[in-house]
Amino acid sequence: MEIQSKARAGTMQSSDVVVFVEPADQLTIEIESTVLKQFEHLIRQRIEQQLATLEVTRGLIRVSDRGALDYAIDARIETAVRRSMEG
Amino acid sequence: MLQSLSTPHDLQQVAALLKCSGLSFEADVDDVLGIKDLHGRLVATGSRQGALLKMIAVDAEYQSSELFSELINALISCGYQAGIENFFVYTKPSQYHSFTALNFHLLCTSEHVALLEYGRGINRYLQQHAPLQRVGDNGGVVVNCNPFTLGHRYLIESAAAIVDWLYVFVVEENCSSFPFDVRFDLVKKGVAHLSNVSVLPTGPYAISQVTFPDYFLNNSTLAREQQVQIDIQLFGRYLAPAFSIKHRFVGFEPYCATTSAYNNALQGQLPQYEIELCQFARIESDQGAISASQVRQLLMQHSFDNLSQLVPETTLKFLTSSKFFKQVHLDPKFRRH
Repeated sequence: MEIQSKARAGTMQSSDVVVFVEPADQLTIEIESTVLKQFEHLIRQRIEQQLATLEVTRGLIRVSDRGALDYAIDARIETAVRRSMEG
Repeated sequence: MLQSLSTPHDLQQVAALLKCSGLSFEADVDDVLGIKDLHGRLVATGSRQGALLKMIAVDAEYQSSELFSELINALISCGYQAGIENFFVYTKPSQYHSFTALNFHLLCTSEHVALLEYGRGINRYLQQHAPLQRVGDNGGVVVNCNPFTLGHRYLIESAAAIVDWLYVFVVEENCSSFPFDVRFDLVKKGVAHLSNVSVLPTGPYAISQVTFPDYFLNNSTLAREQQVQIDIQLFGRYLAPAFSIKHRFVGFEPYCATTSAYNNALQGQLPQYEIELCQFARIESDQGAISASQVRQLLMQHSFDNLSQLVPETTLKFLTSSKFFKQVHLDPKFRRH
């Protein structure tokens, strides 16, 4: 899939994550999280996996996390990417 | 239930809830949101004015609930729909943790207020301008240039002669009669002959609507002091280190009390960031010290004859072109800058 426009998914509620995507030539993942120190590597890994599953190879992916679990990260990433294709 | 509030009855409830938190209601906002309990009583409210979130209050009974994040989330969603991606909020220094818990970043604090932002923010701004970064004994000026005059050119030339590299930050906020694009372009053209000067926009990080927390403090003198402190902190903590700025230059201010007070505050507060303030006397024309307000006055009187004493060739060329009439709307209400 290809990120075609700016899009967003998720909420700022506790245990959720807000995912922002926008088109870019390279793949960049920026993570801010209330549990960044403990879990940044795991969050990044999960995002990379999900992007690979969705076959997203470029774009700016920014997540603002409040301790979301893996399946929530997956769902929000997928929704944001799909929204970016609805244009 | 979260909703947008607009009826007089709802707004009265908003004002009452704000009053409990020591805040006052201002009508000049883009969105007013609220959350009511099952009995229709307003228990949380927040508003958005452009990129600034304000008038945020949650009923004491609900303060440990998720209402706060629901409210902020909704305000930010409204902002996104309006095309804004970076948000600011002022709060009391004792309460900024409720915002950092939502991934807001603390930009700076003064005695009475904390300024936070949400989004890629200042780091993105600095990244964007990273190619301009140079190591050295550099200087900075922050100018509005509404429009660029011989006075600005004199300040910039004098400053550039002293430092290794000079950064000219042009105020990006569009509160002036000359729109930002025009002001920026005239500064660039007016300093093009100088080989050690970069011109860049301030973003919201200097002298902007965002650096006006007066809504938060009812005492306006205090508000102005806090505003100036925040503004100087942003310069001292973020802009200056990124560009190795060790000298800030200002023109001596003979007319405007606000600017003169601001310069005094710079004098007092910049040294803690190891930045030295240099004030230059203004150059004079036949009508006294040159200022942009003089230029605007002449333009309003359509007296183009004396302009060449006040502005450089580059600005004059614009003022006498058809673009000027298309892009600039001089209005007596824009008295300042």
